[in-house]
Amino acid sequence: MAVKKSRKMVNPSGIKGDIRYGDLYKPGGKVRKRREWRGVKDTLYDYSRWLGIMFTLGKFVAVPRNVKAMFRYRWMANYLAVPMMVDRHTQGLRGEYLRMCHTEQDLIILDVAKLLANLFRGDRRIGNDKAFSDKVVLVDENEMTAVMMGFPGLKGLSRETPSTYVSVLLNQHAAEHYIDVAQEYGLAGDVCPMPEAEAGVSIDDDAPVLGKCAIQCNTTCDGSLLGNGVISRRLEKEDGIPVFQLPAPLRHREDDVQEYAAEEIRRAIKFIEEQTGEKWDWDYYFECARRVNVATRCRNEWLDMNKTAYPQVFGSNLALYTETNYMAICGKVPEFEKADRRLMKLAEKAYRKQKMAAREYRHRAIVWGVQSHFYMDFLVWLLNCWGIVPLTDMLSMVNTEMIAETDTPENREQAYYDMAWLTENMIMRNRTHGGYRVLLDELFEFVEEFDADMIILWEHITCKALDGMHGLFEEKARERGIPLIWVDHQLFDPRVISRQGVRDQVNTYMRTVMQEEPLDPTLEILDDDNSW
Amino acid sequence: MKKVLKAMMYLLLCCTGLFAVTFVIYFFNLDMKLTSKIEPLLQKHYDRIERDQHL
Repeated sequence: MAVKKSRKMVNPSGIKGDIRYGDLYKPGGKVRKRREWRGVKDTLYDYSRWLGIMFTLGKFVAVPRNVKAMFRYRWMANYLAVPMMVDRHTQGLRGEYLRMCHTEQDLIILDVAKLLANLFRGDRRIGNDKAFSDKVVLVDENEMTAVMMGFPGLKGLSRETPSTYVSVLLNQHAAEHYIDVAQEYGLAGDVCPMPEAEAGVSIDDDAPVLGKCAIQCNTTCDGSLLGNGVISRRLEKEDGIPVFQLPAPLRHREDDVQEYAAEEIRRAIKFIEEQTGEKWDWDYYFECARRVNVATRCRNEWLDMNKTAYPQVFGSNLALYTETNYMAICGKVPEFEKADRRLMKLAEKAYRKQKMAAREYRHRAIVWGVQSHFYMDFLVWLLNCWGIVPLTDMLSMVNTEMIAETDTPENREQAYYDMAWLTENMIMRNRTHGGYRVLLDELFEFVEEFDADMIILWEHITCKALDGMHGLFEEKARERGIPLIWVDHQLFDPRVISRQGVRDQVNTYMRTVMQEEPLDPTLEILDDDNSW
Repeated sequence: MKKVLKAMMYLLLCCTGLFAVTFVIYFFNLDMKLTSKIEPLLQKHYDRIERDQHL
């Protein structure tokens, strides 16, 4: 079959300011030479947001216990790189796209700062606020927090989110120490480095100790089960914090597993009630459910826009925000509803004006598989270096259905099924588990729907869930004439495959198979191994 | 009146000065250049902390 032709689109407005982004990198350096010049208006806007981030960070360090925690926990050093993370994700962005990115990232920074402050407040080593700690339920990083949607008096806090997940977004080398610690203690080196690093934090005695109880979920893989086992052992046997295991069904699309899944949610809620003495609040649940629906409606509309010639919320702007809003927030934080609405306004405005986020769009790509976490801004690089528009990614293709949001006796029963559905369809898990239909067949349905002419397929080399389908992906892509670029990586560990190693795989394919030249040649090879 | 004008002038000068200083820090990435020097010192500190490291 002939290869599907791509349609090149040139941005009639061009891009103001710097366009050779590679020139901003300092070879071998940890940070960049200077920030980007985006034209007067956008540079001043970016500067004002930078001031806002500095204010958030200043407020955080003004609390003595946060400073104490900075000197206690190794992973806290990564938070020195917060402004640079924003710079990486805003590279090349102007106008509405820059504002969308800041709307999301600034809110995520604020939310993570609150999470850290709460963790240290209850932490037995730092703030040791016992009354506060008794209102805390620890949740997995890689877990849908739907079971906390009916407990307004409790705080569902994740220790792994700031210690590993966010840390690697900030600093590509953040997890290496913890991966090494876990392997020094005999844990397998061929499992996903994310749960392995999380286990490493626990082994290294580097996790805050707080909470009345904890909920763990059989999230995504063998590594995740391994990590949870190590963490829960320490929690239960040493810290005296009981842990509930929430086993969500893997074949989540099958009707006959839903009753079981809902029953597990009921048991988890009962466990939290028994441990904390708090009662489930239906008013608060339906308030959160309404906000979950707002987020889903917005995401559906953004995805619909991305099916047209003028995609608006895509790449990092879609991926990072969806991960946070869908899984960690899950309707519980009203500020995210405001952000959803602001993002929608910006997207609609840009769509009406038929705006483009880069100088040229050369390819429309679906990004599939589990992305390299240490190189989350790869999506920005794809756009700026090769003009490849990452229309959507696997982790953003989560639940698109509305859940019950009005309080009726029937909906109270339905709510357990809705929470179970959200938990089963947690990010990553809803594609890596559930059979070939959700992982393989639906990818090619999305290729059709989004009119994509390219697939970027991440191969996370220790993710067993995807590795078995390698040949089937290639076969289907060949049948349909869709160029498919495999991009190997090791999720949390850039020592195995570096950022340049990731880029090289795309560079080689684009030059040899596609016979194309880069849009910005200065980004093709970057000496950023030491960079944050 | 003169005093008010003078105070406003000082305020304007202060604001301009503050803007100039913070903008230079922002544009030349001086904040990140500084924190990148702090990180290795913190790492040395973390290595010295005694930990109850075990499975």
